[in-house]
Amino acid sequence: MSNETTSGPSVPAPSLPWPAIGVVLVLASLLLIPLGIGNAFVTHIFVTICLMAALSSAWNLVGGFAGQLSLGHATFYGIGAYTAVILVNLGITPWIGMFAGAGIAAIVGMAISYPCFRLKGPFFSLASIAFLEVFRVLTLHFSDFTGGATGKMIPLKLGWTWMVFRERWPSLLIIFGMLCAVLVVVWAVRRSRLGFYLIATRERESAAKAAGVKTVQVRLVAVAISSALCAMLGTFHAMYLTFIEPSAMFSLTFSIQIAMFALIGGLGTVSGPLLGAVLLVPLTEWARASFGASALGLHGFVYGVVLLLAVLFMPNGIIGLLQKFRRAPHHELDEDEQTTQTDSIKAPAQATTPPSPDREGIGRDVMRVQNLNKRFGGLHVTKNVNFTLREGEVLGLIGPNGAGKTTLFNMLSGFLTPNEGSVTVRGPDGGYHTPVNPADFAALGVGRTFQIVQPFAAMTVEENIMVGAFYRHHDEHDAREAARQTAWRMGLGPLLQDEARGLTIGGLKRLEVARVMAMEPRILLLDEVMAGINQTDVRRAIDLMLSIRDSGVSIIAIEHVMQAVMSLSDRVLVLAAGEVIAEGDPHEVVRDPHVIEAYLGKEFANAHR
Amino acid sequence: MTTFLQILLNGLMLGGLFAIVSIGLTLIFGIIKVVNFAHGEFLMGGMFITWLITTQMGLHPYAAVIVVVPVLFVMGALTQRLLIQPLMSARDDHIQIFATVGLSTALINLALLIFGADIANTPPHGLRAPLEFGELRLLTGQVMIFGAAIVLVIGLELFLKYTQTGRAIRAVAQNRGAAELMGINVNHIYVLTFGLGAACVGLAAVLIAPLYPTSSNIGTYFVLTAFVVVVLGGLGSIPGAFLGALIIGEVDALSGYYIGSDLREAVVFGLFLLILILRPSGLFGARQNLSHLS
Repeated sequence: MSNETTSGPSVPAPSLPWPAIGVVLVLASLLLIPLGIGNAFVTHIFVTICLMAALSSAWNLVGGFAGQLSLGHATFYGIGAYTAVILVNLGITPWIGMFAGAGIAAIVGMAISYPCFRLKGPFFSLASIAFLEVFRVLTLHFSDFTGGATGKMIPLKLGWTWMVFRERWPSLLIIFGMLCAVLVVVWAVRRSRLGFYLIATRERESAAKAAGVKTVQVRLVAVAISSALCAMLGTFHAMYLTFIEPSAMFSLTFSIQIAMFALIGGLGTVSGPLLGAVLLVPLTEWARASFGASALGLHGFVYGVVLLLAVLFMPNGIIGLLQKFRRAPHHELDEDEQTTQTDSIKAPAQATTPPSPDREGIGRDVMRVQNLNKRFGGLHVTKNVNFTLREGEVLGLIGPNGAGKTTLFNMLSGFLTPNEGSVTVRGPDGGYHTPVNPADFAALGVGRTFQIVQPFAAMTVEENIMVGAFYRHHDEHDAREAARQTAWRMGLGPLLQDEARGLTIGGLKRLEVARVMAMEPRILLLDEVMAGINQTDVRRAIDLMLSIRDSGVSIIAIEHVMQAVMSLSDRVLVLAAGEVIAEGDPHEVVRDPHVIEAYLGKEFANAHR
Repeated sequence: MTTFLQILLNGLMLGGLFAIVSIGLTLIFGIIKVVNFAHGEFLMGGMFITWLITTQMGLHPYAAVIVVVPVLFVMGALTQRLLIQPLMSARDDHIQIFATVGLSTALINLALLIFGADIANTPPHGLRAPLEFGELRLLTGQVMIFGAAIVLVIGLELFLKYTQTGRAIRAVAQNRGAAELMGINVNHIYVLTFGLGAACVGLAAVLIAPLYPTSSNIGTYFVLTAFVVVVLGGLGSIPGAFLGALIIGEVDALSGYYIGSDLREAVVFGLFLLILILRPSGLFGARQNLSHLS
């Protein structure tokens, strides 16, 4: 054990915010270089860079943050372009038209996404391509409005009102402003509750649901924002081009390019799409200008090959590469060593007397489970399960493997719907409710952990806990503060800035509990939080659970560590083959012949008698 | 009445065509769990080779099958080995989608570079000759496609059910880890499956080339419908893809006649969204895509 580990949490030395400085430098050069050179072609290229960077950043809200890969984002861009051009021909300025287009695009985006977001699988990618095609076909069909295949011109009315200019620099100013606005939106989303919820949903949908995230809803919001932004950019581009046609506006190639800049820059990062566009657009524009006429398809071929190479050799994009450089290999705290030092080993199997069932603090029923039945096909997993949980009580749930404990938990938290029976929960208002889905259960204050730990792997420990904390706090700072407090309470304080994927199993179990505790639940469902952790940690976990209980939280704990079951539980419920075979005082229950039989078999139970 | 019957018959034939294009796609998805966005470009490649063989050597288009099917098998196998296999361990399937999308873009434009933007017409050698049944007419080539689709579906099902390799393929699809523990070389199975899927679309290419003009973007035209077919049939189900193809074929033909030929795609893709809302697992779908617990 080296001495460095004892020096406490390694707080990174305060350094200059290099990423932010880099972004500002890149942005400044995007504006100043073309204005300085003053050449029309150079300005045109910079307009294209700004446009593609902005489109790609907007795409990234859905494709990166929400993890829903759209390959048809040109749909929204095209909707914005067509709406504005049709309105301009009716005498309405594009400054108003862009908001009309944004509204339509947001509605269309949500309508396409809603069916897909309820599903797992590649459906959204397929639907996004299909609807790109639908809009192209519809635009061709309704030629009275759209001009059909011949396209549509805008009347040449110059000036800021009409967003059409003789020179190129005013267009550059507009698109530069729009790019900055998009980046600010993306940055704000990343830091907000919405951003945390999106990434949590992307990483682990079920854990996000347990943290009270309305997973479909948050992704729909992301799609609405993203498509609205793309539509506004489409409006700008239509005014810049002064002519639009269906095959250019609703193009699959263009959609793929939008996604590609984000991939190459870094999916799900704020500045990735910007970097991707800055590096790739000049390259391809140059290729187009020098080879375009002589070699048809070369430009697209280069795009395809760059995309192939990028996925094979830098799937995390340029940002991923930069982060590898920045993150100096620092010695990570070994978590188990840490624990051993901070806490000298106490007598492990201390026989604590169980709390009396009628001790103070136990109140009215908070959860009533009636006649719960669940079948998977022909398998009857839980049979007529009945019990109640009282306020401030710890109910131990034990039973041999395959008894149906986790299935029962899934029904108690809305992840499974029982075939028969009901779960009623007393809400903070004092009335009894019958929640049906994980969000309802979370809203009533039911929090749960998962037996197989479900960390949001790409997030830090702090961010993981913040996902839970956002349930109570809307503001990022409050959530962060609450998450830190919870983390220190759970012994995760020194690991706050570590990525969750690097934790040991004990750390991950504690992270599960910390995340749900940050939601400040009234009823806590703990699924084997002590399995696979060492004796010291068990002792600590027991103390922790007692302190949680004393703060008024009711707990149901599935546990195999008998030491914990005996010393924690006010009552024990024994489940075997889907049925409750015993219930009551822990010490009586473990002597019950039925229970011994369920665990060890008939012969053993008889021999013992 | 004759018109209606003719439309139904056209729909049926179109269904056969969609089926033969979709079978390889659903096979690859069902086993490897990768959506091959370059599937249409495999078709395009096969059609160009058929065109080359027919025009350069003066052979019957169907003779090209000897070359096209093995070439496409190798193309598919290489795609799996060099592109998908290194990405199998990626955290999510996005990277694999990007990879096949990149391949698709590269292949379309490669075809543009080599063959230019002109349309290549494969000489039909009598395959566009009509067969008449009373007042109803069909093209010989369409009937051949329909027959080939049925044979291919039955053949693949038999192969997967009753051969040792077929069992290994199904085992890998069910549970990769367990199959590996049983001594199955999972990577070989994947390479073989991708090759088979591509070979199926190679067969489709040979049969379609005499009936449709070949161009660099012909693949996109077919593959978008194939996606709908595969989802309707239940991702990964071969009989499902066949039935789905027949349904989409009829929808396409009927809407083309009664709603407007330029709105056919809008109707088909509208149906796609409806399927996702009403029956996302498709006609023959497994439960795999609906699990709400990860």
